[in-house]
Amino acid sequence: MTFASLAARNVLRNKVRTVLTIMGVAVAIVTFLLLRTVLSSWTAAADFAAKDRVVTRHKITFVMPLPKRYIDQVRQTPGVKTATYANWFGGRNPNKEDQFFGTFAVDPDTYFVVYDDIAVPEGDLKAFKEDKRGVILGDVLAKSMEWKVGDEITLESGIYAPPADSQWTFTVRGIYTAKSRAVDRSSLLLHWDYMNDSLPEGRRDAIGWVVSRVTDPSQSAGMGVTLDKLFDDQDVQTLSQDEHSFNASFLAGFSAVLKAINFVTLAILLIMTLIMANTIAMGVRERTSEYGTMRAIGFMPKHIVFFVVIEAAVLGLLGGIVGVAIGYPFVERGLGRYLEENMGTLFPFFRVPPLMMVAALGLSVMLGLLASVIPAYLATRIRVTDALRRVV
Amino acid sequence: MSEPAFSTENDPRIGWEAADKPPSRSEAAYRKDATDNDSVIRLRGITKEFERGGERLRVLQSLDFDVARGSFEALMGPSGSGKSTLLNLIAGLDRPTSGSIEIDGQRIDQMNESKLASWRANSVGFVFQSYNLLPVLTAVENVELPLLLTPVAASERRKRAQTALRVVGLEDRMEHFPRQLSGGQEQRVSIARAIVTDPLLIVADEPTGDLDRQSADDILKLLETLNQSLGKTIVMVTHDPAAAERATITRHLDKGRLK
Repeated sequence: MTFASLAARNVLRNKVRTVLTIMGVAVAIVTFLLLRTVLSSWTAAADFAAKDRVVTRHKITFVMPLPKRYIDQVRQTPGVKTATYANWFGGRNPNKEDQFFGTFAVDPDTYFVVYDDIAVPEGDLKAFKEDKRGVILGDVLAKSMEWKVGDEITLESGIYAPPADSQWTFTVRGIYTAKSRAVDRSSLLLHWDYMNDSLPEGRRDAIGWVVSRVTDPSQSAGMGVTLDKLFDDQDVQTLSQDEHSFNASFLAGFSAVLKAINFVTLAILLIMTLIMANTIAMGVRERTSEYGTMRAIGFMPKHIVFFVVIEAAVLGLLGGIVGVAIGYPFVERGLGRYLEENMGTLFPFFRVPPLMMVAALGLSVMLGLLASVIPAYLATRIRVTDALRRVV
Repeated sequence: MSEPAFSTENDPRIGWEAADKPPSRSEAAYRKDATDNDSVIRLRGITKEFERGGERLRVLQSLDFDVARGSFEALMGPSGSGKSTLLNLIAGLDRPTSGSIEIDGQRIDQMNESKLASWRANSVGFVFQSYNLLPVLTAVENVELPLLLTPVAASERRKRAQTALRVVGLEDRMEHFPRQLSGGQEQRVSIARAIVTDPLLIVADEPTGDLDRQSADDILKLLETLNQSLGKTIVMVTHDPAAAERATITRHLDKGRLK
């Protein structure tokens, strides 16, 4: 028998209460993992953004277009390896209007050079480039819409009216997959030319944004300034940011939601701490007479604190282990796949980061220790003679 | 006692050798020793007051008390007479409002909390009315508990705990939990826990209070043996005249004064 084994043995003294507390902690840890995974998945596009990509958009908002000629000036700027452009098409499937997915009008020749983390089979890419009405889909979108290569599909756009007396019809020419977590596997890419040619004269030759790859990733921020200077004296000014900042500024629009998730996470952790504190406090109260006995035979207050603290830490750790053991497979084998396949635009990669699991375990132990502070303090305040008088 | 003595190899305090056994002595001899400055417990001018509901309550009043080495003393008196308070002071569980407490030459009333705890661990064995065993520990682990505070190695701790359990006749109950033992057996475990560190002094607060006559008798016999065969100084609080009869000296307390 050792001090530690004696402390740990107290955890199993009241098995029902211990199991219920562990389950309470486990549920809190599962919820913590889910919420943090939502955040990490949501911010993955920013976190895993390429370091050498710079996005140039209208200075006021990315909703306002840029003149197409800007792409040529960007490409001629020293330090820019290559550049492409795209427009938000705003398409949706009229047969499944409730399913949102990103639709972008892109330059087929340069888009996949700039976004080389999108994996397209060579044959598919060739077929896409050769067919002006062709589209390429992410594999997750293809699965959820049940579209396959060769299918004729019809889209509606909330931004661009279809060609006269017609509809926006396309042929699926390829399915892409992702090489990085930042890639949304539920987007649809169409030819910018096809969209542009179908527009009335006054709306043509406008692009949503320009994406450049720079030769020196460490100078991305400086390149942004250089590019913006190009257009300072022109009719439309720009704002250039590295991809991380651009994606982060896009996410900033959801900051209230992100804050709410953080707040809920904190509230859950607080509840978990209080649950543990309650269990520990009950245990300490029940064991007053035992602590009195131990103090009588020579144990000191620091020993009693040790017993209380270790019991709380073990309780927290067990809750954390059970929580991770439930939460990880739940996300990996169930929820994560479901969200990636059905809400891929919001959650392109919904998996529990390994570090998050370590953090959850560490947190459960830490909060266990925190929960023990007051009960441990109270345990040391017990007068030996009073404690011995307590009837068990 | 046919049990083997504790090992003395690592800890000179543990010495239950037959040669150490004091001869059986009379009450008069112990009383004489206590007054001839051979007392192991020496209390002088002890007053103890408690605050209860805003009122100061004097439980012990200017009390002088001596106990001779190797004596077995019973403290009797009505409820509220101050018996348990006196026992707590002797055992270093409480401090007097005034007066001095000297145990084996050490002024325990002047020790700080940590020194006092260490002194209790080394010098006092406790026997409680409700046994006060830890329910999550087996009999042998309960007995081993005080040894956790000593530098004794784990294997030696276990050996000593087993020996102590043999001394109290519970060698076949070592791995039993308290809930699997009778009241008498629990009290035996408690006594084994009290003697495992080979303390100078054993204090027993109503050790037979929760037991039937037969079990109480067994426990008293055991305490008697510890006193006579191993020379342990025992101070026992009891309401039971039959229990007090087993002690060499019986003292009566009333309203905080020795009669």
